[in-house]
Amino acid sequence: MRLVEEVAVTLTSEEREVVRKRLGREPNIIEWAVIEALWSEHCSYKSSRNILKMLPTEGVQVLVGPGFDAGLIDIGDGFVLSVHIESHNHPSAIDPYGGAATGIGGVVRDILSVGTRPVALLDSLRFGEIESSSHSRWLLRNVVKGIADYGNCIGVPTIAGELEFDQSFERNCLVDVMCIGAGRREEVVLPMATRPGCLVVLAGNTTGRDGILGASFASQSLDSDEEGKRSAVQIPDPFIEKLLIDALTEMFEQRLISAVKDLGGGGLATALSELAYKGGVGVDVDLSMVHRRETDMTPVEVLVSESQERMLLLVEGQKLERVSRMLEKYELQFSIIGRTVEERFVRLRWEGTLIAELPLSVLGDAPSVARASRRPEYLDTLRNTPPPREPEDLNKVFLNLLASPNISSKSWVYEQYDYEVGVRTVVKPGDADAAIIKLPNGKLAAVKLDGDSKKCYIDPYRGAMWIVSENFRNLASSGAKPCAIVDHQQFGDPGKPDVYWCFKECVRGVADYCMAVGVPVVGGKVSFYNEDLVSGRAIKPSPVIGGIGLLSDEDMVTTLSLKRSGDYIVVLGVTTGELGGSEYYEYIHRICGGEVPLVDPLSDWQLIEAVLNLRRMGVLRAAHDVSKGGLAVSLAEMAVRGRIGLTAELSKLPVRGRVLRRDGLLFSEGGSRIVVEVDRERFREAEMALRRHSVPFAVIGETGGNEISIKMNGEQVINLTVGEVEERWHYSLERLMEGYS
Amino acid sequence: MDSKSLLEGSKLWVVEARIQLKSSLKDPEGETILRDLLHKRGVSGVEEVRTAKLLRFKVRSHSREDAESLIRKVCDELRLYNPVSHTCSVRVGEEV
Repeated sequence: MRLVEEVAVTLTSEEREVVRKRLGREPNIIEWAVIEALWSEHCSYKSSRNILKMLPTEGVQVLVGPGFDAGLIDIGDGFVLSVHIESHNHPSAIDPYGGAATGIGGVVRDILSVGTRPVALLDSLRFGEIESSSHSRWLLRNVVKGIADYGNCIGVPTIAGELEFDQSFERNCLVDVMCIGAGRREEVVLPMATRPGCLVVLAGNTTGRDGILGASFASQSLDSDEEGKRSAVQIPDPFIEKLLIDALTEMFEQRLISAVKDLGGGGLATALSELAYKGGVGVDVDLSMVHRRETDMTPVEVLVSESQERMLLLVEGQKLERVSRMLEKYELQFSIIGRTVEERFVRLRWEGTLIAELPLSVLGDAPSVARASRRPEYLDTLRNTPPPREPEDLNKVFLNLLASPNISSKSWVYEQYDYEVGVRTVVKPGDADAAIIKLPNGKLAAVKLDGDSKKCYIDPYRGAMWIVSENFRNLASSGAKPCAIVDHQQFGDPGKPDVYWCFKECVRGVADYCMAVGVPVVGGKVSFYNEDLVSGRAIKPSPVIGGIGLLSDEDMVTTLSLKRSGDYIVVLGVTTGELGGSEYYEYIHRICGGEVPLVDPLSDWQLIEAVLNLRRMGVLRAAHDVSKGGLAVSLAEMAVRGRIGLTAELSKLPVRGRVLRRDGLLFSEGGSRIVVEVDRERFREAEMALRRHSVPFAVIGETGGNEISIKMNGEQVINLTVGEVEERWHYSLERLMEGYS
Repeated sequence: MDSKSLLEGSKLWVVEARIQLKSSLKDPEGETILRDLLHKRGVSGVEEVRTAKLLRFKVRSHSREDAESLIRKVCDELRLYNPVSHTCSVRVGEEV
């Protein structure tokens, strides 16, 4: 049988030895399958967990940090917020529609696994150059459709996201989804088996051969078209997911379940083992009891199937009848497959016969894999890239930059999403730097995902710090104080010292930043092996940060559009001239290199507190962080969204370092900066507050008119009408995707 | 040669491309129709429902084979289906 031969192929000979030693005998084929699933990189973090220890994970609001299916934050009044991030990169690369959709399904079930209900989704997507690659356009189109359809069917709004295009993602797109959940503190259950005598119930979808042989499938050529081939493709069924959400929510309210666990990578093998060893209680399960879609499945196939929309429930005996009635009410199929037991073993049976027996002590803690790490030599070359000559016509450069897929409005994407279902969405996508949702206790939270692989490629440490900085400035610009993050670290093969070094540096960047400002990391994910099988080239290092901030009240909500003519435009923070990884270098000059901006977490935090204070005082009308495209793009976005023009004088900007050229002042993404519109009549108050917060700032211009006019020492550099800018910025991505010019 | 002279003597064919999930894959829509509609309304005897998408092209060409290969090519190259999860069968119907 082909499947049996392929079991345990990914374990190294050292790992096999450890298993034999811990067990004191040779495991049988089914036991190998369990260990292989559990000790995979995906489930065990064996190459990454020593590095992830650098991240600060504790805080007063943190109820549950990394290590479970989702992190939990106490938001007061007896309510909690849950958060998790997942990727579905490889499935999306071969089946963008189904891969992205099932990715959402998975992260939503992680939120359910801690006893909370999903309330919002965010997505972070990375593809190749869509201007030149029809393949990447096809991927983007179908990924967005997969997310939109699934999110719509399950009634969870997709409220924010982030999108980056770079050649390195041509064959390995990245599809990350973050989910926010909410619930009552007393309804929280954790995915672990803590007491013997509970029944193990498998609810939801039927178990089929989906996802089996995923790894070997991936290395086959994608153009083979055999009917009936066993397939790794998982077909999403959002209707069952919706029923699971509703049924579980009702069961949480009635306290009917002791634990819930999503079936993800490794299927039942992983879910059963994790429930058992996390809680320290054994399980005894008969796999033949599982409700199946195909009749001729082998025990191993049932064990490792990755069929979607399934969850394991642990139920006390006296509650079983109520749970059964509830599942029947929602027309969810289920099977009672076993029970938790005193003995600390995972026991698997088939029609009553014991087919596998593994002590919990063998299962937990896959041995850590020591990985070699070496700073890549290409970094020196990249860093020493000489600056390009400054173009004469910066007006033209600016228009071209606005049309870059990385900069132009992402409305083509988010207008396909149902972002308002559930009526929790307070500001619409694109209106503010972060999305804002209403929580069940009436409070507001801001959420945002950010990434910047171009910067992380040139300087992983600085790049990762810059992403956290941008994320926090986004939250603050929307009126929220950052309170926790999740991180998703995505790289190539960790066996390559260059790749592993980049991974370490990215985690160190996130850790140093969060440690300095005291914001905990409550969860995350690592995805390795994002490499092109043909060329062996890895993706650019891609940490993605999902930040959560809380708003003290509704008046704090801040949008980015200019509100009124005659107000002051104030830039908070110092402008620094590093252009490495900037869209200006990459898109306009096709330069990959230069110096990546270095951010200072402590001055960022002063800036964040200052912005929040200005808003609280009521003197701040709009706020927008300076990120991709630099100051010029930030100003343009504020003007376009508000349909009000502005004037700005670049020489007034507080700068650090050498005298900056005009292109640096316009397009640098350096420094930690936020642009704000300040009420002209109350500028004195704002000025005094900013001094108190020791935040460098300057009034660089005024709002009004219908032109965006930017000067340097009185000389015109950029002069365009708001309409001309809008035409470029708002429609470029749509034009590209819809194929009209 | 302009396109008019190229197509001289050609005929109009109806070509149908049927795109459906591979038989090994789950078909949630078909299952829902079977379970929530047929079975609930007491329809017996139906054991499976599979969904498909049918594209109907009117193609002007010299031969049945040309019409078929053109549509085959269009479906494959313009990604009207995903070979990983779908099958696509093309057949030429009547001359219009």
